[in-house]
Amino acid sequence: MGDQYRDTGWIGITLTLTILAFIYYNIRRASGGKDLFIRRISGLNALDEAVGRAAEMGRPVLMVPGLSGLTAQTMQALNIFTYVTRIAARFANPILLCCPDAAVYTVGQEIIRDVYQSEGLADRYDPDSVRFISDRQFAFAAGVSGLILREQAAATFFMGDFYAESLIFAETANGVGAIQVASSTEATQTPFFIAACDYVLIGDEFYAASAYLTRQPVLTGSLVGQDWSKLLVIFMLILGTILTTFEQRGMTDTEWKEGKWQTIEGGPRWKTFEDTTVSRWFNPSPEKIKIDRPKEEAPAAPAEAGQ
Amino acid sequence: MIPFAQIRTDFWTDLPGSSSANLKIIVGLLVGIGVIFALLRMSTQFRRPLIVGSTFIAGLYYILLWLWPKPIDRDPGEVATNPVEGLGFWLEDANPAVSQVRNIIAAFLIGLGVYSLLRIHVGKIAKQQKDWGFSLVLLVSMFGMAGVGFADWASRQGPEGAKLDNQANWGAINYVQDFLFDGLLQQMDAAMFSLIAFYILSAAYRAFRARSVEATILLGTAMILMLSLLGGISYLSDQAIEKMGGTDPNAFINNFRLTELAGWIQNSVQVASIRGLQFGIGIGLLALALRLWLSLEKMGNA
Repeated sequence: MGDQYRDTGWIGITLTLTILAFIYYNIRRASGGKDLFIRRISGLNALDEAVGRAAEMGRPVLMVPGLSGLTAQTMQALNIFTYVTRIAARFANPILLCCPDAAVYTVGQEIIRDVYQSEGLADRYDPDSVRFISDRQFAFAAGVSGLILREQAAATFFMGDFYAESLIFAETANGVGAIQVASSTEATQTPFFIAACDYVLIGDEFYAASAYLTRQPVLTGSLVGQDWSKLLVIFMLILGTILTTFEQRGMTDTEWKEGKWQTIEGGPRWKTFEDTTVSRWFNPSPEKIKIDRPKEEAPAAPAEAGQ
Repeated sequence: MIPFAQIRTDFWTDLPGSSSANLKIIVGLLVGIGVIFALLRMSTQFRRPLIVGSTFIAGLYYILLWLWPKPIDRDPGEVATNPVEGLGFWLEDANPAVSQVRNIIAAFLIGLGVYSLLRIHVGKIAKQQKDWGFSLVLLVSMFGMAGVGFADWASRQGPEGAKLDNQANWGAINYVQDFLFDGLLQQMDAAMFSLIAFYILSAAYRAFRARSVEATILLGTAMILMLSLLGGISYLSDQAIEKMGGTDPNAFINNFRLTELAGWIQNSVQVASIRGLQFGIGIGLLALALRLWLSLEKMGNA
């Protein structure tokens, strides 16, 4: 048994594997031709409207995939931007993808070029439409704000990891009258986007976006798997609430200490959350196990001068 | 004197400057450049399986690091007692080296970022397009900062470099670096950050207008929280409500003190909502990671 499986450590891992199994099973199910239902998301309906409006005005569409490097969130943002770029390419609308990281810039360039090629519009692809701005937070904020003002962007898409710069982008774009669709995986920035943008994808809607837009079986299956996982989480929450509520009543004279139940010194006390089964499930005992192993032989020390 | 032999080395850890470390660096560099050239010349048909394979292997390493039984109570220099433990030791030892791979790739890619800036701004200056002066400022700043930064770093190397910890020993280049970084860059960052205060005000003005039921609820909630943070107002309102409750400290009306309401909104409504969002985000991230690892995602040409 490994360190991570000791005591109740295996419960968290089993839950994560169960969620992964749900997602993978539904991906296989959807790939096999099963028609799966996805509800409407209003923020995503606005994508076409925003690009269409930019095309009418003849002004560019500006996209920012967050402030992080090449993370899963950035990849998801780029995934949504492929859809935006495809519509913009069909309308011959200029686009600008502003990158805060050289790796994102490289991947973004490849993806955007692929979109134009797959649409048969390779001649419309402008390599300068994907730009590396700066990897410093506020230098990036200043650079993107400057581009929004100079190019008079008609539609802006801010999706991915955003921090303090989120409101600088959103308010600058609002200042030039751009229609804005935004989403941040940072819960602290979502209120800023809600206050300043026209449409906001909240929480996991960001991850659902590509499934809704492309209707690829892999993505819709994955989304249904996510819904199954959320049902599992809801069931766990209800079970945990009931168990904890009933267990936490009354007094106790024993507590879990150093890997075993021990009598509390100084008499009984009121039960706390740490005394409940749910707490034990997700907080494995910190008890240390001693294992004696042979030591490897140390290499011979270099001979001292003169010896 | 501590002999070098006491420093533990394995395949992943070598003594800096040793011939085996230098050989590994040269071989690694050649293999890296070879792989990049091979990928560039390869047709998409052959490139895809290679990328899918390397993504799978890279992901598999971290999956194994998470799932494979981790060694219990491991001390430096200990030998594994069975093959399961042996693989656990190997995975643990390889982690620092594997984590460095991402940093090395990022270092290569920063060159591409600089190339992007040069292509756009040199072109703009050459054609004297609108606002080309700003492009010139950008390029001069970029190369100036890099040059001065490198010269400052070089002056701090070696035994003489330690003396520069004391500002009295600084030379001209150290003062220039200090002026450019602390005197200009940091101040400009702070100026950009301070703009947020004004943007919050203008965004709040638009958001907090009672145009609909939802906006009115938002306005009411925000007012309670903002007023609860104003010491004078929260004190006076709490006192007024406590008077209504009379001498009973557990009076029901005491639950409606401004500070109690603000605490309830933050701890019961806000925390619950954010946790709900975080569950969804976590599960979505897990699904995306699985799709990326198994290369099920089709991006640009979907």
